[in-house]
Amino acid sequence: MIKVVNLHKKFKNLHVLKGINLEVKKGEVLVIIGPSGGGKSTLLRCINRLEEPTEGEIYIDGIKITDPKIDINKIRQKVGMVFQLFNLFPHLTALENITLAPIKVKKIDPKIAKEKAYDLLRRVGLQDKANSYPSQLSGGQQQRIAIARALAMEPEVMLFDEPTSAIDPEMTKEVLDVIRELAHDGMTMIIATHEMGFAREVAHRIIFLDQGQIVEEGSPKEFFENPKEERTIEFLSKILSV
Amino acid sequence: MDFNINIFIESIPYLLRGALVTLRLSIISVGIGVVLGLFIGLARISKRYIFRIPATLYVEVIRGTPLLMQLLIIYYALPSFGINLGAITAAIVGLSINSAAYTGEIFRGGIQSIEKGQMEAARSLGMSYFQAMRYVILPQAFRRILPPLTNEFVSMLKESSLASTLAVTELLRAGREIVAWKANVFSPFLGVTLIYLLMTLPLTRLSIWMEKRLKTSD
Repeated sequence: MIKVVNLHKKFKNLHVLKGINLEVKKGEVLVIIGPSGGGKSTLLRCINRLEEPTEGEIYIDGIKITDPKIDINKIRQKVGMVFQLFNLFPHLTALENITLAPIKVKKIDPKIAKEKAYDLLRRVGLQDKANSYPSQLSGGQQQRIAIARALAMEPEVMLFDEPTSAIDPEMTKEVLDVIRELAHDGMTMIIATHEMGFAREVAHRIIFLDQGQIVEEGSPKEFFENPKEERTIEFLSKILSV
Repeated sequence: MDFNINIFIESIPYLLRGALVTLRLSIISVGIGVVLGLFIGLARISKRYIFRIPATLYVEVIRGTPLLMQLLIIYYALPSFGINLGAITAAIVGLSINSAAYTGEIFRGGIQSIEKGQMEAARSLGMSYFQAMRYVILPQAFRRILPPLTNEFVSMLKESSLASTLAVTELLRAGREIVAWKANVFSPFLGVTLIYLLMTLPLTRLSIWMEKRLKTSD
């Protein structure tokens, strides 16, 4: 489904990703953990080319998306993204946030788009907030709308960039529940997160990304119970002792 | 003090006719300026040199030289290249070109003030750059630039008085004509002053009000 080959990303003198190789199968949930600044966000952002890779190749469904001739807007329709800061459109209602791209990009009939949006709102438990503006919603609610917005394009893959980092602790559960359900339904997902309990529960596979490299990779059980690399052990001991 | 109430009252209808010309000049010029300014603003933030460099050059040249000089060049120098514009047209062309540079900067600032995540979210949904601009960035930017755009219109109401040098009988020139006819300086100019204030003050207040409302809604 997704294949990343020798991916490098440099910002001027900063070498953020140093040769990432990665494969995600259809229906797989890959969780990326690692310290802030380790390259988690950059890796996700390269996969839908919000960042241009400096070197290397990325394939989605066998299509080389790092090819400069590719229509990136077509590719992005297949790759949903959820941001740390939600990035909902503040001038639109929750419903309009969800229907905008289906109507304008996919040219779906507004009536049908609206019906679908209501289904999605129900799915994230916010059917009563259809006409609310983002500023009237809590962080957890906004993030759930953002997930619904991404799902409205019927993506084949979902990328989550620390979806709960900017949300009050008591609201994170409602967001994680939605993601959990997506995992159940077989959605292919790559999730960058600091929620270790959630990572362990929802991931099929975990990678530990530090200083732009994949330090360790394994099943959640192996990864948390029997980490092999020193840096992983150090990171886990720090984060789990909190 | 040569104030004369009769001259003052007599001059009002003529001044109002001049004020209408001032209004018309300003509305048309800012209108054209806004349309051109949108493209200049977009070009100014473009990643492509072929758009960015000419737009930057345009803005710098227009903002770095006197409006009066620009008007004089258009009215008096263009005819030697075979381009003859009437006084009103020349004034509108000059004021529009000038206004476009300033509104271009207003648009640039407004667009750049929208959080980067908005463009990213729109693009991540598969929107093209222009779709994202049109449906996500510009609607938000428009609200933010409404106050400075109103201020730009207020400046235009005042600066269009320079068109009086091109023999366009707008408000200021209407006043000067009465001064010449009646040999009375103060009375007509008091009328001119009051009419300018009548046009600009409500708009200035409107701009302040909009700014306050924006702050509370953000």
